[in-house]
Amino acid sequence: MTTPRELSLFLFKRVVSSIFALIGVFVIVFLVSHALSPDPARLWAGPKAKPSTIYAIEVRYHLNQPYPIQFYYFIKDYLTGNFGIDPLTGKPIAAEIGYYLPNTLELVLASLVIIVVLGVFLGYVSAVNFGGYRDAAIRVFYLASWATPTYLGAMLAVLGFATYLKLFPSGGMYSPTLTPPPRVTGIFVLDSLLSGNWADFSSGIYHLALPALTLAFLNFGIITRVARSSILEARWSPHVKSAAAKGLPTRTIRVRHILRNGLIDVNTLGAVMFGWLLSGTVVVEQIFGWPGIGQFAYSAIAADNYPVLIPVVLVFTVGVIIANLVADVLYSVLDPRIRLGGGR
Amino acid sequence: MSRRSEGAVKLLKELLFENKLTAVGLVGVIGFLVLALVEGVSLGRLTPYNPSAINLMEANLPPSPAHLFGTNFEGQDIFSRVLAAIPIDMGLPIIIVALSALIGLLLGSIAAYFRGVLDEAIARVTDVFLAFPGIIMALAVAATLGPSLINATLAILFVWWPPYVRLVRGRALEVVSQDFISASKALNTRFPYILWRGIIPNVLPSVLVYATMDVGTALLSLSTLGYLGLIPPTRPELGSMVASIGLNLYTYPWEALLPAFVVFLIVLCFSLLGDGLREMLDVKVRPHILIREKVEE
Repeated sequence: MTTPRELSLFLFKRVVSSIFALIGVFVIVFLVSHALSPDPARLWAGPKAKPSTIYAIEVRYHLNQPYPIQFYYFIKDYLTGNFGIDPLTGKPIAAEIGYYLPNTLELVLASLVIIVVLGVFLGYVSAVNFGGYRDAAIRVFYLASWATPTYLGAMLAVLGFATYLKLFPSGGMYSPTLTPPPRVTGIFVLDSLLSGNWADFSSGIYHLALPALTLAFLNFGIITRVARSSILEARWSPHVKSAAAKGLPTRTIRVRHILRNGLIDVNTLGAVMFGWLLSGTVVVEQIFGWPGIGQFAYSAIAADNYPVLIPVVLVFTVGVIIANLVADVLYSVLDPRIRLGGGR
Repeated sequence: MSRRSEGAVKLLKELLFENKLTAVGLVGVIGFLVLALVEGVSLGRLTPYNPSAINLMEANLPPSPAHLFGTNFEGQDIFSRVLAAIPIDMGLPIIIVALSALIGLLLGSIAAYFRGVLDEAIARVTDVFLAFPGIIMALAVAATLGPSLINATLAILFVWWPPYVRLVRGRALEVVSQDFISASKALNTRFPYILWRGIIPNVLPSVLVYATMDVGTALLSLSTLGYLGLIPPTRPELGSMVASIGLNLYTYPWEALLPAFVVFLIVLCFSLLGDGLREMLDVKVRPHILIREKVEE
C-alpha cells in the first residue's frame, strides 16, 4: 500500500517534473510557431490594412522585439493568467478557450464512457471464450475499428446514419432554433440538465450521439485488448483456482475475482486515453461541425495565429499531464501491490 | 542450416499456421510491400491510366470494369491514383517507424547503460515530447515547415520517437543487469560493441513487435495530415486524395471512400500481423497458448 506520506511525496515529484515538461513544451511551441511566419502582423491585419495598423499590431504583440524579449513577454503574461487577445477575432483568448474546451470535453467524456463499457464488455467476452470463434470475431472487430482512419469512420457515419437513414443530425451541437441554457459548466448537455431544460437536453444528446459513438467505435480497441489480456491473466491465477476449489459459484468468481482484477489496467488506460482523445478530435470535430478546441487549434495553425496556438497547446499538455497523473494514482489505489515512489 | 535461420523458419511457420488472422495479416503486408516495390521501382508502370491525366469528359464515373474505382471530378482514374500512392503510403510510415526505432535504440540503450545524469537528461527530454498533444503538434510542425510530403514525414517523426526510447530503456535495463554484460564490462569492452552485440539483439524482438503495429498507426497519422491539407493534393497520397473530393462525398461517395478504404486495408494488415506477433511473445498469454496446444494434442 502507498502511505499518504509516499503519495504526497510522489505527487510533489510529479508536479515538479510536470512543470519542467510544461516549460519544455512552451519553449518548443514558441520556437516552432515563431518560425511559422516571418511577417504575422501583415497576415493578421488582412490584405488591405494600412501600414499604421500593421505597425500597431507589431507593437501590441511585441513583434518588433527580438525573440528572447518576446518570449519574456509571453511568460510574464501567462504567469499573471493573461492569455492575451486573439489578433484575428479581437476576443480574449481565455474566453475563447473557455467556450471551445467544454464542447470538446463533452464529446470526449461521452465517448470515453462508451469506450470503457464497450471495451470491457468485449474484452471480457473475448477472454471467457479464449481461443474460440467469438474471441477471433471480437479480435477482428477491434483491429478493424482500430485500423479505420478517423476520416473514413466519420464520413461513413455521416453518410450512413445522417444522410441516408436520417437517424441523426449531420452536424452541430444542438438544434439552432433552441436557446442554449445559462452557462454553468460550459458543457451543453450538463448545463441544460442542471437548468432542467428538457428540450435543450434531448437536442444536445441527439446531436452528441453520433459523433460520440463514432469516436468511441474508432478507439475502443486498445481497451478491449488490455481487458482481454489482464482478464486472461486473472482467470488462470492461483487465487481463482482456490476460489473455485472452495466451491464458490462461477458467477461470483467471474465478477469478484476475475473481472475486478482485470479492470485495474483498464482504469489507468482509460485515464491515459482521455488525454489522448482530447487532442485527437480534430477530424471528428471537422466532419461533424462540432465547435470544439481541436478545430479551434487547427484554424489557428492554418492562420499562423500563434498567440492562440501557444495557449491551446499548453491547455492540451496540461490535460495530458493531469490524465497521466490520475492514471498513476488510480493504479496505486486500485492495486495495493503497487507502491508509488517506493522501490523503483 | 544455421541456428538463426532455423529459428526464423520456425517463427515463419508459426506465423503462417498457428493463427489464421495473423497469417492473413502477414500475407497482406507482404502483398502491399511487393505492390509498393514494383510500382515504385517500375516508376508507375502498373497504373492502367496516367494518374494525373485530366479528362473532364469522363468525370465522376462510378466504378466499372474500365475504371475499377471510378473517376474523380477531374476525370482522373481513381484506381491508378491509389496505385501510384501505395509506394508513398507504405514507404513513408516504414521510414518514420524505422527512424523512431533507431532513435529509441540509441537513446534508450545509452540511458540504460550509463544511468546517472545522462539517463535523467534523456528521460526529461523524452517527457517533454511525450507531453505534446500528438496530432496537433504534428500539424503545427508540418504547417511551419510548409505543406509537402517530406515535411509531413518530419512532423510525424517529431512526435513519434519518444515511446521507443521508453520501450528500449525498459528492456535494456533488464539486459544490462545480466551477468554477461558485467563480464563484458570487466573485459574492458567498449560501449559500441556491447550495444551492438549485447543490448540490441536482446531488445530488438520487442521493438519489432511494437513497430509492426506502429507502421499502421503512422500511416493513419500521415494520411490524417494529408486529409487536413498538409500534403499538397498534387502528390499521390491517400489522405489528401480523400480530402480533395470535398463535398462530392455526398453525391459521388466512392471517390472519397475507396481511397480511404485502401488506407484501412493497409493498416488492418499491419495490425493483424502486429497483434498476432504481440500475442505470440506476450509473457502473460503465451503460456496458455502452449498449454492449450498440449491439451488438444
